[in-house]
Amino acid sequence: MPEVRMMATTGMLGYGYTEQAFRRGLEQDLDFIAADGGSMDPGPHYLGEGIPFVSRQALKRDLSLMIEAGIERNIPVLVGSAGGGGSDPQVGLVREIVEEIAAEKKLSFKLAVIHSELEKSYLKQKRGAGKIHPLGPINELSDDDIDESHRVVGMMGVEPFQQALEDGAQVVLAGRATDASIYSAIPLMRGCDPGLTWHLAKIIECAGQVTTPRTGQDCVLGTLRDDHFLVEPGHPDKRCTRMRIAAHTLYENPSPYHLVEPDGTLVTTDAEYEQIDPRVVKVSGSRFEATNQYSIKLEGVKQTGFRTVFIAGVRDPVLISVIDDFIASCHQRVAGEAETLGIAADAYRLNIRVYGKNATMGPREPVTETAAHEIGVLVDVLADDEDTSKAIMAKARYALLHTDFPGRKCISGNLAIPFSPSDMLVGMTYAFNVWHTMDLDDPMEPFSIDMIEL
Amino acid sequence: MARLADLAQVLRSKNAGALLCTLDMMFEDDATYRRVLDSNAITPRSIAALYGLSDNEVSVIPYDVAYAIKITIPRLHASGDPADSDIYGAQQHAPLLGIEIPD
Repeated sequence: MPEVRMMATTGMLGYGYTEQAFRRGLEQDLDFIAADGGSMDPGPHYLGEGIPFVSRQALKRDLSLMIEAGIERNIPVLVGSAGGGGSDPQVGLVREIVEEIAAEKKLSFKLAVIHSELEKSYLKQKRGAGKIHPLGPINELSDDDIDESHRVVGMMGVEPFQQALEDGAQVVLAGRATDASIYSAIPLMRGCDPGLTWHLAKIIECAGQVTTPRTGQDCVLGTLRDDHFLVEPGHPDKRCTRMRIAAHTLYENPSPYHLVEPDGTLVTTDAEYEQIDPRVVKVSGSRFEATNQYSIKLEGVKQTGFRTVFIAGVRDPVLISVIDDFIASCHQRVAGEAETLGIAADAYRLNIRVYGKNATMGPREPVTETAAHEIGVLVDVLADDEDTSKAIMAKARYALLHTDFPGRKCISGNLAIPFSPSDMLVGMTYAFNVWHTMDLDDPMEPFSIDMIEL
Repeated sequence: MARLADLAQVLRSKNAGALLCTLDMMFEDDATYRRVLDSNAITPRSIAALYGLSDNEVSVIPYDVAYAIKITIPRLHASGDPADSDIYGAQQHAPLLGIEIPD
């Protein structure tokens, strides 16, 4: 079996990496360079709006070095979950940046762009055929959910990457993809052991996160061999420790032993981790159990309205002592005021959180009595249009500022409001309403590839 | 008696997808790890009680190779829901800090 060497430049395209680590990594005889470009951790907004959660400048900087080096050395450059969520506008933005880089650096190459945004009619057909299942604690998907959704992506496995490479792509920009697929596609094409491949891919996709000291994102190198793989940092001053590498399968997974991919499960139960020098860790014993049913993850969001937020401090000790009752009375007052404006009770959602009490954990907060001498009030309003959102917030602000409470002495105002203007319009918000899996007979079916000659 | 906060090197929470929250505790050495694990203080029942859940909603997985115990619970709300307060799920670990581990 051939040895395959790879470099993960950064755990998130746009989070950066040092040029020193990158150049040092390039000195190795690399087979490909890659980076993950997305995550759902920042929440549903970015997929909903179709925008990245990093800056355009940062994307361009991180891509620029990778593409120039990849083309110069004639090795593939792979990016997964381009633009953050892999939706068409997000992938489109990254494509535009790559085209800009090619023009500015006078580079000529074949670019593959893989789409992962899915049509509602396609989802309905799959749902009707019983191919869509909940992924965790969420309801069965209904046609109404599909109709209500604003944007849905499918998370690809290795196959679309492999197809793009077989078609001659030198740079692959993939829509939503499993993080590990980005790094597994090439080794699996070359016949590497799937257990070791997926395990290395899973470790390396977070790049700098598996190195010590953790001083920001940076490049990590992986070497796959017959019966083991090696992980080492690109940067000469950083190390990979046995513990950090072993602990990595804990991160963001429900189980450290079983990591599910579209075509099977990586099993690390028998994996062994060895520190072979102060910077390098050797791993062996990982297995991959293939599944009979190929299945991809679906991620989708629906719109939840225009948000306006307002923040203020409360320093009055009497008000702090009765804050819950006070907020309940304000809710009531706002409901009455909304009625006078002709705004129905179900046309908005008013949420008042009390920082310093239970805003972080809500009903799961075990501490019932706050010891704080000041608390923060965060108010947010969601409504179908901006005017309603702002109108309700104006009423809520007034209610919180001037409503009486038992023992009130601060009759000129209950709040310290730090800003003028005080009410901040955030814009449209989204919530996840598709978090399911979809069975496929053909791993390529939902994904299409555009090949572009640059 | 010792508090878990004093025994664990890492005590963290994070999303495992938009619907689950995973809580990891990691210990410096095998002895401390075994002490906590063998105390039976970290069980689906004890964690369910701390977070107001039922036992079958909680998974507890010991991970010997990293001297770690992983707990996974459902999030209170999906990440980014209108009522959600912790998009990344990064501040849901505090109730674990006070768990008492016998000597």
